[in-house]
Amino acid sequence: MNSLIKLELARALRNRKFLFFSVIYPSALFLLISSTSGSPTTKVTGSDLTVATYMMVSMASFGALTAVLMGNSERIAKERENGWVRQLRLTTLPGRGYVLAKTASAAVVSLPSIVVVFVVAAALKDVRLDAWQWLALTGAIWAGSLVFAALGVAIGYLASGDAVRPITMITYFGLSILGGLWWPSAVFPGWLQDIAKWLPTHAYAALGQAIEQSRAPHAGDIAVLVAFFVLFAGGAAWLYRKDTLKA
Amino acid sequence: MTTTRTTTGPVVGFDRVTKAYGAVRAVDGLSLELHPGETVALLGPNGAGKSTALDLLLGLKHADDGTVRVFGTGPREAIVAGRVGAMLQSGGLMDEVTVAELVRLACDLHPKPYKPADVLARAGISQIADRKVNKLSGGQAQRVRFALATAGDSDLIVLDEPTTGMDVAARQAFWATMREQADQGRTVLFATHYLEEADAIADRVLVLHRGRLLADGTAAEIKAKAGARRVSFDLEGTIDEAPLCALPFLTSIDVSGQTVRIQSTDADATVHALYGLGVYPRNLEVAGLGLEQAFVAITEAEEARQS
Repeated sequence: MNSLIKLELARALRNRKFLFFSVIYPSALFLLISSTSGSPTTKVTGSDLTVATYMMVSMASFGALTAVLMGNSERIAKERENGWVRQLRLTTLPGRGYVLAKTASAAVVSLPSIVVVFVVAAALKDVRLDAWQWLALTGAIWAGSLVFAALGVAIGYLASGDAVRPITMITYFGLSILGGLWWPSAVFPGWLQDIAKWLPTHAYAALGQAIEQSRAPHAGDIAVLVAFFVLFAGGAAWLYRKDTLKA
Repeated sequence: MTTTRTTTGPVVGFDRVTKAYGAVRAVDGLSLELHPGETVALLGPNGAGKSTALDLLLGLKHADDGTVRVFGTGPREAIVAGRVGAMLQSGGLMDEVTVAELVRLACDLHPKPYKPADVLARAGISQIADRKVNKLSGGQAQRVRFALATAGDSDLIVLDEPTTGMDVAARQAFWATMREQADQGRTVLFATHYLEEADAIADRVLVLHRGRLLADGTAAEIKAKAGARRVSFDLEGTIDEAPLCALPFLTSIDVSGQTVRIQSTDADATVHALYGLGVYPRNLEVAGLGLEQAFVAITEAEEARQS
């Protein structure tokens, strides 16, 4: 399976468009938002973090989300259709190996998309945190991205052909914007905030923001993430099994 | 290179295997055995159930009824043991990687791998090794699929319509490559809808029609059965059927109006005898039966024999 992971990874790293959107784009968006939002000491509505500190976690989460969601859903759908998945089933690779290799290679790309945002934030926007906070942030955002990796796999097995791109896009932008990754959800109208707090992306960013404030993450946020992980991973497994029987 | 292949018992065994899609039985009570070292053609028109039969053999589909054994185990176990290499008609390739990278992956995944360079050379794709998979022509892609199927020392090679998309020259080169595989003592099973292809390569031909095994024999035997020709002509006046029915090598006759249609296993002899009857056939036409019609002819003959 390692050889498939290596090949998936080589392919991902060769894909400039994918690297741009998952690694460069979130950092650029971070600079844009944090530079146009008042003085460096302005606090974000409903939080005691500065704009730069707050947005750093949002954009690192957004980058990881892009890396694990965008590539996989579309590729899985396409490779199911063109028969590569069938061809792989004629090898010694265990059935799950394909999905695991996809997830593992996405996880490797999501790491730089997190770290690059941190480096840009520290170097250009003077974000200062303790060493343990940097490590914990990286770990939490990286591990949390598994929730969305599972979602990407589920979409790849659910949708096919022309449908997969719009479904991925709507899910991706919907989760990013409504979950408060682009703007703090505290600026949303009340009814929208009520929806946002149940989204996995909201809980995902809240995890990182708690670490920045040296607080333990809310149990509620962890519960939301775990629940979504079980839902997405279970859905992906069920859809995968259905697809295998059909093929 | 010669390898001794220690195989006792059948390579593949289908025992009354049935697979249906809704009301359509793609494979219908199919029983067959393949023996070590055979090169076997699975011949049939489109929709005969060839692909479904191969999918069942490879464990990609599961039988509704009956059992499929490969080297005495289930298909998946045989694949995991590295004993089966396969090339699917619908087998896609991973794109945006090079041919060499893909072949290396196939070698890495095989329990008894060959060197990637050798696999590329044998499949005749060394010169396109650095090309991206999604930039290949249809024939080149088929060769890459073949390389994936032969990445290791498998005992059974399964190929589903391997020459699709190849021109005549590429086809011949391909069959030469495939013969090397068979010469190394491997069992080779390939599906095709070309009788000539089965004739040129296989030492055993299985004819599949509507999911059933219609015939099982050497290519020559099948050709004799399926090599029927159709003779049609018009006669004037009242047609006396009795002498026509007695024509030699005739397998069926149909008279409608002034037109007589005959199927014959030896059209030359039949036509010669026709003139001997003293009639004057007009608009005489002799045509070969397409494979599909030949199958229908064999089916009808089988059904007539059974009733």
